[in-house]
Amino acid sequence: MSDIHSPASQLNSQSTRTLSILVENRFGVLSRITGLFSARAYNIESLTVARTSDPGLSRITMVVRCESLLAQQILRQVEKLPDTVEAADLTESNCVERELVLVRVRAPEGKRTTLLTEAEIFRARVVTATPDNYVFEVTGDSGKVDAFLDVVRPYGIDEMVRTGKVALRRNLSPKHGDADPVQAG
Amino acid sequence: MTAQQEQHPHPLAGKRMTGAEMIIQVLAQEGVDTIFGYTGGAILPTYDAIFRYNAERQDRRNEQIQLIVPANEQGAGFMAAGYARASGKVGVFIVTSGPGATNSVTPIRDCMADSVPAVLICGQVARAAIGTDAFQEAPVFNLMSPCAKHVFLVEEPEELEAIVRTAFEIARSGRPGPVVIDVPKDVQNWEGVFRGEGTLHFRGYENRMRELSRSRLSEESCGEFFELLGKSERPLICAGGGIISGNAAGQLRAFVEKFRVPVVTTLMGIGSVDTTDELSLHMLGMHGMAYANYAVMDCDFLITLGARFDDRVAGKVQEFAPKAKMLAHIDIDAAEIGKVKTVTWSHVGPAREALEDLMRCGDDFRKDFSKWLEHVRGLKREHARNYNRETPAIQPHHVLECLSGIMRGEAIVATGVGQHQMWAAQYLDIRHPRSLLTSGSMATMGFGLPAAIGAQLAFPDRLVIDVDGDGSMRMNLGELETATTYNLPVKVLVLNNCGDGMVRQWQKLYFGNRFSGSDKSLRQKDFVKTAEADGFKFARRLSDKAQLEETLEEFIAFGGPAFLEVMIDPEACVYPMVGPGMGYKEMITGDFIAGRNPDEDLSMGAPPSDSF
Repeated sequence: MSDIHSPASQLNSQSTRTLSILVENRFGVLSRITGLFSARAYNIESLTVARTSDPGLSRITMVVRCESLLAQQILRQVEKLPDTVEAADLTESNCVERELVLVRVRAPEGKRTTLLTEAEIFRARVVTATPDNYVFEVTGDSGKVDAFLDVVRPYGIDEMVRTGKVALRRNLSPKHGDADPVQAG
Repeated sequence: MTAQQEQHPHPLAGKRMTGAEMIIQVLAQEGVDTIFGYTGGAILPTYDAIFRYNAERQDRRNEQIQLIVPANEQGAGFMAAGYARASGKVGVFIVTSGPGATNSVTPIRDCMADSVPAVLICGQVARAAIGTDAFQEAPVFNLMSPCAKHVFLVEEPEELEAIVRTAFEIARSGRPGPVVIDVPKDVQNWEGVFRGEGTLHFRGYENRMRELSRSRLSEESCGEFFELLGKSERPLICAGGGIISGNAAGQLRAFVEKFRVPVVTTLMGIGSVDTTDELSLHMLGMHGMAYANYAVMDCDFLITLGARFDDRVAGKVQEFAPKAKMLAHIDIDAAEIGKVKTVTWSHVGPAREALEDLMRCGDDFRKDFSKWLEHVRGLKREHARNYNRETPAIQPHHVLECLSGIMRGEAIVATGVGQHQMWAAQYLDIRHPRSLLTSGSMATMGFGLPAAIGAQLAFPDRLVIDVDGDGSMRMNLGELETATTYNLPVKVLVLNNCGDGMVRQWQKLYFGNRFSGSDKSLRQKDFVKTAEADGFKFARRLSDKAQLEETLEEFIAFGGPAFLEVMIDPEACVYPMVGPGMGYKEMITGDFIAGRNPDEDLSMGAPPSDSF
């Protein structure tokens, strides 16, 4: 599916912001960053953390529900932490976003074929199956994932796990890469 | 690594030593001359290393690191804070794990909230025991993380010496703050090779600090500033604690003198300008001077320097400085720009350099603000501070006026928190920066006495006075003994109104005189006996107004620790007062300070620009 926000997903994302935070890969950094959000009573909608190509750094992608100005303020607070290398609000920038969902959908005899046909529209893969259900894997932006879940919900969702959003800028500006240009200094 | 270190490697570089010894070596390298702290199980190796370090220097006392032991770890933290606030150097305190660490949370948060550079070294249980609910184990990293500027848990002993050095760098760079190092006991006992140099690298932070230290005002930006100042008829500077922590008081005074712009200061900014200066309008805010708050209401251009529009300053934000069409803001912390008030012009960088740049670029700038200054002089005259001078009961304002006359703006004053803190801020002349040490943002009761002890250790020859209240004094009463133990000539003045006066004031105003929890009139404490028992050779109680001046003079002149309790009028209130969440126009000035008719401010019949 497209990387471009569909109108529907734009509507959905109006009140959420996607924040990308590059941090030193050190003890306690994640709790420090999330602590900043909880100390200001902001709810984190989703959170993913993993090492970057530089093993000394981790990238945190966070979706929070707040207005743009508030997001700016919290990013400035995040930028004050010694562990933070870079923090940006990617909500309005040109970036690729992906989320992965694993969902166990009830698939009784007689409904299986239609379910698979509908899943095909979303390029959902069946990763495992039992006589009673399928487990689908879908990757896409949050809008696509939501749309897929809307389609399969009538069949009955038994269990589900979402990774939360990861996001990457389409163009790498020298300042925002994993490797820091001034690192040699 | 500095160039100097490169040229002269540390004399002990390459030597094997324990982690504890490395900690002390790095502290010495950082120029630490005083450590505050309380020992205990998990920090024993480090305390032993201090002992041995000093024993090796028995004949060179000036090379020793003096160890000051308080009654409680919170006292150690506030001593380190007082030391740091008065001297500008990083305050250091060392405590044990568990309760030692949790008792230190309050001073760490207090340092953070007032941007005070401090390093806390906490013992921690051995690495293998972490997370097992071991004896005296507390989750220091988790507890301190949201309270401190940064927290380290030393997991790799090889990183220990670099971490200690880095902690100092982080504590004093940018907007200063406290850094906590949690050191497991086995890391203190570990033996390794001392390198004598090296820090950890925080690429983002280092870049930001480098940019910040280089951050200068461009000609263009200066030009814009002076364009605003040129348009202004009624400019006003609001100076905050950033001027003091940024060592920019000299630059600010020169700026004020050159452009003839009057100044209000926040509580934290007191001392950034000489409060007795004709252009000083003293403190603004909830309990600011009436004339300072009126000037804020009247100004058309507010120039905020190293201050952050705290709610005690701004009150109802929408109504703060309502006529100020232009607002300039200089701060070292980018997160403060636009956080509360939208600004017209701003600069992120050290105040010192920014003011120097403005002075240079504005060398030719001339504008006559004499009408505004005349108006401001009028405000100062008409709405001067005042109190009930007729009553036989001793008024706290009177005590502080007398004290101010004796100290002549030259003492270092620490305060507790509450009414006496506000009276001290209002009635003491403070001529120099780093002379009023007060817990501004956290407003921690019990701050005054330990902070005064810390300041006295930083400046053994200066007059250091703790202006305290009976409630605040009770909080860290144990530290009275610390003052006499080290024979520190601090002067402890307790204004006793038999209760938590500020709380009572709010209960009078907003809670129908129901003095829930705040009335201490039936308490048995005899403060004078307490002070005597703790070794004070001068310990007196004063209840007779006629003896006030004489007693104060003897108290201040006493050559050693001195304690004076003054029984003040328990009904005395702090005025002016801008109620919480209210605008300045709702300021109450009380019975003794002339208030201004709400319509009187700038109207005067003529358009504002012609009014001065």
